[in-house]
Amino acid sequence: METKVVRENIRAYILQNVTLDELDNDLEIFNEGLVSSLFAIELMTFIEKHFAIKITMEDLDLDNFKSVSSITQFVEYKISRR
Amino acid sequence: MIDLLSAERRAKYDEFRLFVQNNVQAFAHTWEKNAGIPQSIIDRCAEAGYLGCTLPGEYQGNDWDVLTYGLFTEAVTRASASLGALFNVHTMVMQTLLKWGTDEQKNRWLSRMCRGEILAAFALTEPEAGSDIKGIKTTISLKENEIHLNGRKKWITFGGKADLYLVFGIDDEHKSPTACIVEKNAPGLTVIPITDMLGFRGSHLAILEFKDCVVKKENIIAKPGFAFTHIAPYALEYGRVSVAFTALGILQGCLEHCSTHVATRKTFNTRLSEQSTIKEMITKMGVDYEAARYLCFHACHAKQAHDPEASEKIMQAKYFATRAARRHANNAVQILGALGCHEDHPVARYYRDSKILEIIEGSNQVHEMVLSNSFVRKYRIRNEG
Repeated sequence: METKVVRENIRAYILQNVTLDELDNDLEIFNEGLVSSLFAIELMTFIEKHFAIKITMEDLDLDNFKSVSSITQFVEYKISRR
Repeated sequence: MIDLLSAERRAKYDEFRLFVQNNVQAFAHTWEKNAGIPQSIIDRCAEAGYLGCTLPGEYQGNDWDVLTYGLFTEAVTRASASLGALFNVHTMVMQTLLKWGTDEQKNRWLSRMCRGEILAAFALTEPEAGSDIKGIKTTISLKENEIHLNGRKKWITFGGKADLYLVFGIDDEHKSPTACIVEKNAPGLTVIPITDMLGFRGSHLAILEFKDCVVKKENIIAKPGFAFTHIAPYALEYGRVSVAFTALGILQGCLEHCSTHVATRKTFNTRLSEQSTIKEMITKMGVDYEAARYLCFHACHAKQAHDPEASEKIMQAKYFATRAARRHANNAVQILGALGCHEDHPVARYYRDSKILEIIEGSNQVHEMVLSNSFVRKYRIRNEG
């Protein structure tokens, strides 16, 4: 899957879950308070299901989940290790 | 509604009902009076394989899907919400270890938990922090090879009976939410039973006091920093499934007892079942039970399909089912009159237990905060230009 496709899928999913019409790829979604307390788990489930990867305790790093760009990088890394 | 189940699930449900009929129903009242579930019934549950219900076979679990777990909860809690609470907290901890534990942690605890040799409890709530978990004050200090806990947990279901606790606190150096496993014999841990609760009187509630309590560093679950975002919410999905199906168990019990009563009891030479005010109460009870079941089943299907919306669907089911259980337990006592006001009758227990369901695993007010924001996000009309 191309980087652009991965990024757009992640962007579209996050946009569905925030009250914004536009989303900068480097905006720190958790720090900005844009999402609900459930969102970390929902995002994890989306990533696992949509990209057929499994997130484990080793992947729990704030840098992996802070923005569209960092999540894209993380997903591509996980796909490459599949 | 039960007809929507596959033949296999229906057979499991019948098995659960029979187990409850033989081992739980006649004793539940005594357990509440004695303020505790006896070890003998826990052993029977372990022999039947129910304590490891949702875990995979490699840990000697039964590999049930979440809907089967829900059906089991409904069957048990129709007779005893307190016994159901054991499966709730035990399963929350097992599932947390399965998802976030290291191989060493899984191998150390999970098979023994499935066999019932170890009972687990979920230690999140504190005297001044419940649904608002960010208010937690218990500290977890990370030292070189060990961790030190200081603080106080309260209202811990099966805290007085458990062998192992999943404890949430704050790493005091980095201010990071952290979770770890504490075994009951850990030095510095004192367990104080809580009695005289409104409901769930058999569920061994306790206070856990940690005074420089020391456990090994290997007992940390996942990594510091993720306890409130990933670990607790993941466990609470199972907890809310359990609470929602407990509400179903209570609704089903109310419906059965009320239907039986109104079909025979007469006032003013007329059966209660023929009286319009009673008809209204029974209709609302039945329709809410069916609606709650649909929401619960739908939530389980979402969870099984690994749907990102599963967390919300589960919250919707918990919210609707627990409110309905509260309303209709109240009506059940009204329909049964003095009979329903005596502790010998199950509806008296339903009345007390149903109130607790509106408070635990996130109060219904917290559910409103989360769900209302979600509905606004989803249904607002976006700028289409």
